[in-house]
Amino acid sequence: MTGARPTRWVVAVPMAALALATIYPLVFTANVAMKTRREYTLDRFSPTGSLRWDNIVKAWTSVGMSRYFLNSVVVVACSVALLLLLGSMAGFALGRLRFRGSSALFLGILAALFVPFQVIMVPLARIMADTGLVDTYPGLVLAYVAQFLPFTIFLLASYYSTVPPEIIDAARIDGNTTYGVYRRIMLPIGAPALVSVGVLNALFCWNDVLISLLVMPSAEHRTLMVGVTSLRGQYSDDIPTFASGVLIAAIPVLVVYLFLQRQIADGVTAGSTKG
Amino acid sequence: MAQSSPSLTAKTAGVPPAPPRRKRAGSRAERLAPLVLVAPAVLVIVVMRLWPLLLGINFSFTGDGDRDGTAVGFDNYLTLFDDPLFRTALRNVGLLVLLLPVAVAIPGLLATFIYLKVPGHRVYRGVYFFPAVLSPVIVGAIFTLLLAYDGPLNTLLGGVGIGPVDWLGDPDVAIFAVVGVHVWATFGMALVVFLAGFATLDPSLLDAAEVDGASLSQTIRHVIVPGLSRTIQFVLVTTMIGMLTSMFGLLYVMTSGGPEGSTYLPEYYIWTQQGQMNRPALASAASTALFLIMLVVGLAQIGVLRRATGKEDR
Repeated sequence: MTGARPTRWVVAVPMAALALATIYPLVFTANVAMKTRREYTLDRFSPTGSLRWDNIVKAWTSVGMSRYFLNSVVVVACSVALLLLLGSMAGFALGRLRFRGSSALFLGILAALFVPFQVIMVPLARIMADTGLVDTYPGLVLAYVAQFLPFTIFLLASYYSTVPPEIIDAARIDGNTTYGVYRRIMLPIGAPALVSVGVLNALFCWNDVLISLLVMPSAEHRTLMVGVTSLRGQYSDDIPTFASGVLIAAIPVLVVYLFLQRQIADGVTAGSTKG
Repeated sequence: MAQSSPSLTAKTAGVPPAPPRRKRAGSRAERLAPLVLVAPAVLVIVVMRLWPLLLGINFSFTGDGDRDGTAVGFDNYLTLFDDPLFRTALRNVGLLVLLLPVAVAIPGLLATFIYLKVPGHRVYRGVYFFPAVLSPVIVGAIFTLLLAYDGPLNTLLGGVGIGPVDWLGDPDVAIFAVVGVHVWATFGMALVVFLAGFATLDPSLLDAAEVDGASLSQTIRHVIVPGLSRTIQFVLVTTMIGMLTSMFGLLYVMTSGGPEGSTYLPEYYIWTQQGQMNRPALASAASTALFLIMLVVGLAQIGVLRRATGKEDR
C-alpha cells in the first residue's frame, strides 16, 4: 500500500516495540517468581540464573492457591457444561425452528445481553441470599450461567440458523423427533461453534472476580482470581511469592490461548459480523 | 425418501393405519418441543437477569437501614449526586468518553497496518490479542508491580533522567494509569474485530486507491472508514461498554478506588455501597444511573457515527 517501502519499516519498528511491551509484563512476572526476596530487592530486571520453583511450590501449597485453583476448575467446568447444554437447546430452537413468538423471545434475550452485571448485582445478591444460594457452588454456577447465557444463545442461534433445513427434514423422515434431531444432528453439527463458545465462556468464568466476590464471600470457597486479590494484601512484602500466585493463575489461560487462539477470536468476532 | 416414510410410520406403529389419536398426541409433543427446548434458558434469564433489573429500579426508590422497604421517592438519587465519590465517578466516566476515540483509533490503525502487511504482520495479531484473554485481576496484579513507586518503570525512567512518578498514588495520575493499563489489556480485542471487518472489505477499492496514488491518510479516510462503518460502530459501542463495566478487577487490585477516591467508577461505587457500606438501595440507584448512562452514550455514539459516515445501516 502507498508503495513506499520505507514507510512500512517506519511503522514496523513501533509495532514490534508494542509487541514486546505486550509480552514483557508476563515475562517479568515469571522472572520475579523465580527470584528470592533478596534477589528481587537488589535487582528486579536481570534474568535469574537458575529456575527456582520454591516460590511457586510455596504459593501452591502453603498459601492455598491449590484450593482456589480447584474451586475455579470445578465452578468453570460446571458452568460451561450447563451453558452449552441450555445454550444449544435454546439456540437450536430459536435459530432453526420457527415457532410462534420465537423472534420476540430472541429479542428479549438480546435485550438481556445489554444489561451489565453491575446493574443487576444488588437485587441478584438479595435473591441469592433469600434462596440460600449465597456462598454455595450451585449459586456461583447459576450466576455465571445467567450472566453468559444470552451471549451463548446469541452465537449458537446464529450458527444454527446457517444449518440447511434439508438436513433436518431428512432426519425427521428417518423417524427422528425434534429431540432426536437436537441430540443426533444438532449437537454434532454444532461442534465447532460449541468449542468456540465453550472456550470463551470458560475464559469469562475463569477471569471473573466481581461475580465471585459477590456470590462466594467466604475464604475457603474463593475462586482463583479472588485468591490472587487476597494475596496482594498478605504478601505485599514477599513479591516473589505474590508473582508466583499470579503466574499460577495466568498459566492455564496462556496454555488455552496457545492452542485455541483461533476459536477464541472466532467467538469474539462472531457478534461483529452479524451486526 | 419421502415415499418410504408412510411404510416406516406404519412399521413402527405396528397397526397398519396409524391410529389417529396417537398421531395427534405425538404431534402435540412435537409442537411443544421448541418451547421445551427454550424453556430452561428463558427461565434462567428472566429470573436472574430481567427480573432483577426491574427489582433494582424499584429498589432504588426505597430506603436503606431504618427506612428499609419504605418508599423514599428520589432521595437516593439526591444522595447519590451529592456524594463527592459518585461525582468523581461520573467525572471519570466523562474522561473515558473523551479517551474513547483514542482507545478505538489505536487498534484501528494497528489493524490497518497489519491488513496492509507491514513486516511481521503474521505475528502481531496473535501477540497483541493475548492480554485481552487475561483476567483484569492478573493484569492489575502485574501492573501494581511494574508501576510501584520503587518499581521497574520508574527505575527505567530514572535511567533516562525522568523523575519517579507515583503512578498509583498521585490522585491526578492514577486514573490515567489505570485507564492506560485497561487500554493495554484490551486493544487486542478491538484489533481482532477490526481485522474481521477488513476481511469483508472489497480489495479492489484499495487497489483503485493505490492506482490513483492516494496517500495512506486519504486511503484511510475515503476507503477504509466508510467501508468499515459498521465495524467501527461495533467497536465503539463494545469498547465503551468495556470501559464502563469491565474495569472493576483493575480498580479492585490496583487502587481500590483511591488515592482519595480519584479512581472511582460507577461500577466500583456500586460495589462499595453494596458490599462495604451496606447501602443496597443507594447502590441500586447508582446501578440505575449507570444503566441510563450506558443507554445514552450508546445511542449517542450510534447517532454521531451515522451522521459522520453518512450511511444508514440496516
